[in-house]
Amino acid sequence: MSTAAIATSSLTAKFANPLIIAVDKAFDMLLGCRPQRTGLTFKDGRMPEYELSAVIGLTGKAVGTIVLSLTRQTALNVLYRMVDVETQEINDDVRDAVGELTNIVAGQTKAQLEPLQLRISIPSIIEGRDHVIHYPSGIQPISILFDSEIGAFSVEAGFKDSQLA
Amino acid sequence: MKVLLVDDSGTMRTIQRRCLEKMGIEHDDITDAADGCKALELFERFSFDVVLSDWNMPNMDGLGLLKAIRNRNSDIPFFMITTESERARVLSAIQLGVSDYLVKPFTPDDLREKLEKWVSVTA
Repeated sequence: MSTAAIATSSLTAKFANPLIIAVDKAFDMLLGCRPQRTGLTFKDGRMPEYELSAVIGLTGKAVGTIVLSLTRQTALNVLYRMVDVETQEINDDVRDAVGELTNIVAGQTKAQLEPLQLRISIPSIIEGRDHVIHYPSGIQPISILFDSEIGAFSVEAGFKDSQLA
Repeated sequence: MKVLLVDDSGTMRTIQRRCLEKMGIEHDDITDAADGCKALELFERFSFDVVLSDWNMPNMDGLGLLKAIRNRNSDIPFFMITTESERARVLSAIQLGVSDYLVKPFTPDDLREKLEKWVSVTA
């Protein structure tokens, strides 16, 4: 790994613990569940783990992306846990609930990394198998895998120093 | 008590509306809007006792709404409900006259505690 790659990986790695803390808090308070972490790796590819992704961009002294990647069933369960609405399809309500959950995870992460002076974008939702997430160039994203009573999901993130972007 | 509830997420509007209804506020006394522009239209047409607003929204964000309402010489209690807890951004809201703020995620008790400092909330 080159010096630049190590530097960018190091910045991305700084997000791991804040992300885990943010996920624990958001899932506990909003969904009443306590996810179990099942893995943490640097990813080689750009495809997220599961078929639905909520994507939030962050800018400031670091630039990059946080992705909440969920199975279809986990996404349906998020809506049910948040507002007691049951559905069998990924509709606007599901997309809104997953987007807001991701927004809160990103906000809680950002709050723990105040020196980076991050600002967060409004979340976008991407659906379908084999979709690809674009991180800043040269970034190897991390993937934190979770299992929970509402199903499997992962949180992925890749960041670069904004001076290098 | 009449509440203007502003959030671009329908999910969050539902959650906050349920919190307010649990406090005893009538369903019809809560009016909601999905962005600051729509909220400002409602604010100019109807009378409210308190505004609860998200920060990050399309069209007009919470800070823009706060500014527009204070520019109309209104001292209505205005609460920012947000993922933004960064000190510099909170300070900018305080300078514009925000009454208080609440960071998501929050519990119904957190919301009640904040509101009770400014307005009378029925049980």
